[in-house]
Amino acid sequence: MLPENITAVITRNECWSGDAASEPYEAGWAHEAVFFIRALKPPVGAAPKGWVEISPDGMHWVREGTEFAMPSEQDGVAVARLNAFGNWLRVATHFADGAECTVLVTLHLKA
Amino acid sequence: MRLGMLRADPALSRFDPLPRILSFDDFSRGHCGWSQLVGNYEDSLDVMLPGFAQHSSAMLSTLGHWDAGSHGGMDSSYALKIATKAKPGAQNVAIKRHTFRKRGPIRFEIFFTFKPEATELKLSETDVRSIGFLFDLQCGDRDGDGERVMPHLRFLNALDGKHLQKWQYKRETTVFTAIGREDKTVSHYHLAPEGWLDLPDGEQRLCYNEIPTKVNWSYMRFDFDLASMKATGLQCNDRNFDVSGFESIRIPAMKNLWCMLNFCLFAETDVAKRAFLYVDSICISGDF
Repeated sequence: MLPENITAVITRNECWSGDAASEPYEAGWAHEAVFFIRALKPPVGAAPKGWVEISPDGMHWVREGTEFAMPSEQDGVAVARLNAFGNWLRVATHFADGAECTVLVTLHLKA
Repeated sequence: MRLGMLRADPALSRFDPLPRILSFDDFSRGHCGWSQLVGNYEDSLDVMLPGFAQHSSAMLSTLGHWDAGSHGGMDSSYALKIATKAKPGAQNVAIKRHTFRKRGPIRFEIFFTFKPEATELKLSETDVRSIGFLFDLQCGDRDGDGERVMPHLRFLNALDGKHLQKWQYKRETTVFTAIGREDKTVSHYHLAPEGWLDLPDGEQRLCYNEIPTKVNWSYMRFDFDLASMKATGLQCNDRNFDVSGFESIRIPAMKNLWCMLNFCLFAETDVAKRAFLYVDSICISGDF
């Protein structure tokens, strides 16, 4: 049987500012995960660092260790890859005052 | 013999399918074609109606809980999970898209349960506003009746904190909104809060186990006749409901949706807490 493999769109056309994160996604069945974070519009202000978070319950979050630079131009794409995680995944970031980015976040999972 | 074979099959024995099984989804084999319902748009995603813009992808869940670990499904580790955002009135929808071969009876059977996210150590039984399903159907291109028909049913669990627990249906959608500048695309949000009607004698108390992390699976069956475009039955657990007064949303046929046979599942939260609809398995069958 072919292994499972899906593309999930978890954030689409949302303007992120301040503290921002994608919705929790359950991925316990997968061995590999890749996040793509694309800027759908020209970002405003400095592009901050983003990071991957994992969770024991989908409610309490800790940094997994993987970090990336948020895209700094329209259609810029940030990537985060991981292959050791539990069940819940999300990406998070923090924008300085006045900064923002409209994002498309996709999660690609492979069993 | 067919009945004997169905009843001897542990996967299918819990369903009562019509003669032809169109799809059988147990979610231990992946998402089985249940994908995100995306709203219409042209040129920019910004023109998507807000109801659709909030939708995100369904997931495969073991119903993991902070206090008890993975609950699991009925017959495998996994169920399909449709989760709203943590905002009152937020909805999410998963869709499976088919077309039909014959305008005859179809049957939609699911085992489901619902819960709010367990962010509080309280019963939380009024936190989920509703869960439900809809079909999105359109006649064939040579059929004379020229209609798009959308039967909607929801279990209204609670509204503004009141525990209502009743089945409702809908016969009107919102006005059509032109999307984009080329006059090619329109959109309507058929899951808008307005226009839900009580199904006669549709009150039902479902099993809601004693804390937010205990779940019990319920059975639901909806029968619909594509020939007459009428509902012919609704059963949930031990109750059969009278659907003689049920009516669907009906709108003129759209120019490119012929023989459409779509199925949707949705969840809606009443509070600033995510609502989760879990579906263990789905059997869609027809008489053709």
